[in-house]
Amino acid sequence: MMSLPFLIFLHLFLVLAALAASEARDMLSAVIALSVFGILLAIVFALLQAPDVALTQAVVNSGLVTSLFLVAYSQTRKRPPRGPSRKDEDSL
Amino acid sequence: MILLSYGTAIVLFVIGLCTLLFRRNLFKIVIALSLMEGGVLLLITSMGYIPGGVPPLLPLLGEQAVNPLPQSFTLTAIVIGASDIALALAYIIKIYHHYGTVDVDKIRGLRG
Amino acid sequence: MTFTSSRLIHRIPALLLSLGIGFFLWRGLVLPSFPHLGSTAAHYVTHTASETGASNVVAAILFDYRAFDSLGEATVIYTTVCGVALLFAGRRYRSSRRGLSFVVKRGMALMVPFILLYASTIVLMGHLTPGGGFQGGVILATITVLFCIVYGSRFEAAQINPNKKEMAESFAGLFFVGLGLVGLLGGAGFLANLRAGFPGGTPGELLSAGTIPFLNIAVGLKVGASLSTLFYSMIKILEAPSEGPPPEVFSS
Repeated sequence: MMSLPFLIFLHLFLVLAALAASEARDMLSAVIALSVFGILLAIVFALLQAPDVALTQAVVNSGLVTSLFLVAYSQTRKRPPRGPSRKDEDSL
Repeated sequence: MILLSYGTAIVLFVIGLCTLLFRRNLFKIVIALSLMEGGVLLLITSMGYIPGGVPPLLPLLGEQAVNPLPQSFTLTAIVIGASDIALALAYIIKIYHHYGTVDVDKIRGLRG
Repeated sequence: MTFTSSRLIHRIPALLLSLGIGFFLWRGLVLPSFPHLGSTAAHYVTHTASETGASNVVAAILFDYRAFDSLGEATVIYTTVCGVALLFAGRRYRSSRRGLSFVVKRGMALMVPFILLYASTIVLMGHLTPGGGFQGGVILATITVLFCIVYGSRFEAAQINPNKKEMAESFAGLFFVGLGLVGLLGGAGFLANLRAGFPGGTPGELLSAGTIPFLNIAVGLKVGASLSTLFYSMIKILEAPSEGPPPEVFSS
């Protein structure tokens, strides 16, 4: 059904997204690359005839893990001292 | 197809392992953990694939359904993996509140 | 000498170890694929319609044949959320009041009923189509995550009380175990489905497969409430970050 060059391209893209997630200097780029990795993994699961697993991977990875990473990343940055007129900061 | 998935899963696992060993930022370590889990789940799911198979939904679209047992393991493992990533990130936030940094080399309070 | 040294001579053994692990995984784990299923999987595929009444074989495995593992998974999620909520308890943590702009708020208010409908569809039809309790529960938690981001976490706590989330989660867990005990009282074993007397129905209808829709609803509520509490705990702001590193860090 799916031709072999397309499958090779998909798996190569998966490995490249993993390399980008582990080698990126900026943390934000690494988290976005991890999100792309999760969605591509969901596509590969769907091509392996596993619809339940693909749905779970897509929902959990893009809805939960990415947002938790971004919350943790924003909580661990140094906040510059502002003036007294600033209201309470949003942690996001 | 199956050999390609096996190879990709093992390459993902090795990339995750090398990142876990060589990076100093705590967030990179958690990202590497997530990559390793993704590699292992790809390996499990592609072990249950049968060439020419159809998804395990009744009534079957073809003659041969793929193996439904690895898929149920993978479903459980995805949710549990997300839970342990969440706990690790909560620990990172607490470590940052206590030490002021997320560099592993500087968080050595147990060193004699 | 720390392990994370950036000199190449200290990294080569670790690199060789990782590549060796990869090589032996390739040689040891890669098995030839068999053209037909094993005995257990073939039994599950051929007998799901008659023994459970469900159409989705994976849902039947997760909630009928191996329902005890799903109970264990719900317990793992519950333990994780207990741990995270414990880490961020206390009066020094407070919730935020800031949200995004007016356009985003109105746009999200239009979208939320449809997302809720989608999540309910995935939970209720878990025994017919791909889906089930876990997927729908995560989408329900995503709705509360959207509320926290767009309106601020204080608004979200005012709309959906955290105590009500705790009660929903505990009630859903007790419901799951209660359905299992009904099977025990019926003489057929814990978490038994059709052998304990639950009506099977015809496969393909909405009201079929005995306890599987009710287990799906229980798991969906439990997972949704748990992950929503998890996100709400992690988004709290520390008021006065006055603790620094302990003094023994600088003596190394």
